[in-house]
Order: sequence, then C-alpha cells, then structure tokens
Amino acid sequence: MGKGRPFLEVLASAIHEDYRFPLLEVFAFLYALGTFVFASFGVSITALGTTGQAMATVKETVAYGAVSSLLSMPLLIFIILIFKNIAYGLGSDLEKRIIQTYFSYPIKRWGILTAKLLSALGVALLLFLGMQISGLYILAPDIILPQLGTVLLTYVASLSYPLLIAGIMLLLTLKLRRGGISLVVGLVLYFAMSMVTGIATIVAIFTESPLAFQIISAISPSLILQQYYAGTLGDFWAPAFSEVLLYTGVSYVFVAVVFVLGYIYFSRRLNL
Amino acid sequence: MKLWTTVLGRLGTVFIAISLALLLVSIIPQIQMFRSEGAGSLLPGGIRVVFNQPNLTPQEEVQLTVTVEGKATVYLLEMNLELQMVNGTFDYAFDVTDLQENSDLIIWEHEVENEEYKRSYTPTRLMNATIVVYNKPDSENAYFQYEVTLTSSLAPKEKVLTIAYFAAPIGIILAIPWLLNFWKQRKTKK
Repeated sequence: MGKGRPFLEVLASAIHEDYRFPLLEVFAFLYALGTFVFASFGVSITALGTTGQAMATVKETVAYGAVSSLLSMPLLIFIILIFKNIAYGLGSDLEKRIIQTYFSYPIKRWGILTAKLLSALGVALLLFLGMQISGLYILAPDIILPQLGTVLLTYVASLSYPLLIAGIMLLLTLKLRRGGISLVVGLVLYFAMSMVTGIATIVAIFTESPLAFQIISAISPSLILQQYYAGTLGDFWAPAFSEVLLYTGVSYVFVAVVFVLGYIYFSRRLNL
Repeated sequence: MKLWTTVLGRLGTVFIAISLALLLVSIIPQIQMFRSEGAGSLLPGGIRVVFNQPNLTPQEEVQLTVTVEGKATVYLLEMNLELQMVNGTFDYAFDVTDLQENSDLIIWEHEVENEEYKRSYTPTRLMNATIVVYNKPDSENAYFQYEVTLTSSLAPKEKVLTIAYFAAPIGIILAIPWLLNFWKQRKTKK
C-alpha cells in the first residue's frame, strides 16, 4: 500500500460523508443561482459617485463593487456549508467515535485532520470560487480580467473571517467532541461581526478616529478593503494599499494560529 | 473503477444542478428600463443621435431596430454625449468630425440600405454608449425610423443559456452510470 493511499481513503470517506447525495448538488445550485441573482453593477456606479476617501482607481472600484455584489449571498451559503461540515461532519465523527477507525490506518493524525479539512473546507472552497470566478467571467470579462489582482484580493479578504470562525469551531468541536455548540458559537460569531462593525462605525464617527476600524480589520480585512476601494466609512480614514495587504496578512496569521492549535490539539491532546 | 464512476457521476450531477440554476436565471424576465422611437430624414452628411446612455452595465442590453429608405450607416460608439441648447432646443453636441476623429470608439457600424436592421448589444464592462445614424455626404437623402430599448436582466441570456445547454447533456452523460449504480444499491438495501 502506497503512503498516499490511506490518506486518499480517509479523504474519499470524508467527502462521501460531508457531501451525501444530493447535498453537493443543492449547494452547487444555490451557488450558481446566488451568484447571478445578487450580482449588481449598480453598486459599482453608486460607489463611483461616493468615493470620498477611496484610494483606488475607478476601474479597481468598479471591479471591487462587482465582486462584492456577487459575493453577498454565495458567501453566506459557503459559510453554512463549511460550518455544517466542521460542526456536524467532524463533530459526528468524534461523537460516534468513527475517528478511531481512521486512527487504525497507517497515517499520522495530522494527515487524518488534513483529509477531513480538505473535504470540509477545500471542496466547498473549490466549488464556491469556481462558481464565483466563472460567474464574473460570464457577466463582465472586461472588468474582471484586467483587474484580476483586485478580484483575488477581494476574495482573500472576504474569506478571512469565515475561515477564522471555522478554525475556532474546529477547536471547539475537538474540545467538546460534539458539533452542536460549536455550530451555534460559529453562527453567533459570524452575525456578531455585523453588529460589532455597526458599533465601531458609531465610535469611529464620534471620535473621528479609525482605531475601531483598524482593530476589526485585523480579523476581518474586508472592512479596510471597503474603505480602500469605496471610501464609504468616513473621511477620517484613508488606508494605503500596503495597509490593506498588511491587515489581510495579519488576519491570515490569526487564521493560521487557530488552525495550528487545532492540529496540535488533534495530534497530541485528543485522547481517544 | 467504482471510485471514478462516483467522482464523474457526482461531477455530472453538479453540472446538471448548475445548468438548472442557469436555466432558472435565464427565464427570469428582463425589465425594460428605457424605450425610444422616432423617425426623420437625413440630408447627405447629416447625422442623428438616437441613443445615449452613460454607464451601461453588463446586465443591460440595448436593442435597436432601424428601417431606412435610402442609405445610411448606423454606429454604436463608446462615448457619452452631453445635452446642449442648440437653436432653442436641447440636442446632443455631436457632429461628423466627432465620428471621424473618434474612429477608435466605434464598437460596430453597419450600412443599411432600403431595409430593416435589428441588432442588440450587451457590454462586457461599464461603458458609455451612443447610437448614431449617419448619412454619408456622397449619398442621397435618406428617411429612417428607429426604435431603441434598454433592458436589464440578471445575466446575458444567450451566454447563460449556451452554458446551460452544454452543461446539462455533459452532466447527464457523466451521471448516468453512477445514478444507475446508486439506484441498484438502494434497491438491494430495500
């Protein structure tokens, strides 16, 4: 038996469990529908008129507006899918002790978790990005292709916070060995961000200081991206492109730390 | 063999799901945003702006029908015109020299002679669009009638339908072996 075969077997089993027929098809349908139904270039045109503190060029702003409008509903669908896969998929494996069967395979523990995460996050991400990029290309190839950097940066920044919550949910699921609570925590964390952003906006407007936005941007860089491209958060904050990259990088450091903790816990502390 | 049947089969069902979503997107009706019709005569060298829209989006489609008695050329130009007061009435500030100087802004042109001409256009980016009818100086007087409609839809219908029509049969072909296997297994379980 080759070294990769047990890994592929665990991966195939995880994919089989996470995407039972017709779950994958339903999500593919929703991604495709959501991509087009919520696409709006009107957002881009409106943004052109309100780019008070925007540091980006008009073309970049248009591309950002188009991607943001396409992202809205499919991102929520993607989040539901990965939350379900981590909380329900991995949680169920731990609860029913199916994970112990995987431990009998000639494969290291981190390999098992990688296979589970590739199924839970990787396949969902592949489907999500595949549909999104194809949708953008169908709708507006001449906006997207010249501004590919902006398009990719928008996706990278928008996915950071959902991935951070997914990492926190992974830790909680491993710790509690069940997925119900971590699913609730994940959903609360996701929806709490919009409330926190609202409060931060009020604080920032009254203090005329971007500090609150900067703190949030470190875990959810889509906020700094919104200010950089659309400039809708106020005149007191004009982030440079290097800052956008910095905050996006910092947010992914947090994501990486949470996932590394998950790997360490799964490999060394999970007593099964 | 079984693994590949499953992988290809699920890929096929995903294709079918996507094509169903695209078919659904294509049947959502378009909204008419603007409609204009008119008629007029053009002297040799005369020009008439029949449509001008700043920031035309990839979700909008311009449909033009023009009937010409005589000979005239229809142009779709990537430019935005401003209305100006000319001889007491508002008109677009545009003349033949604009057309000659901005030949790089011509998206398409078509010569129409004693016929009805129909054309639609959906941009692939945000752009300004202007449609003009021009009678060349070496032609005789021309009479024309036009109708321009601007519609808005979720996605370019033709593109979406083409993808759906390709994805569905490919999906069905890929999915059939897996679906048959899936059906057999369910029967055996019962």
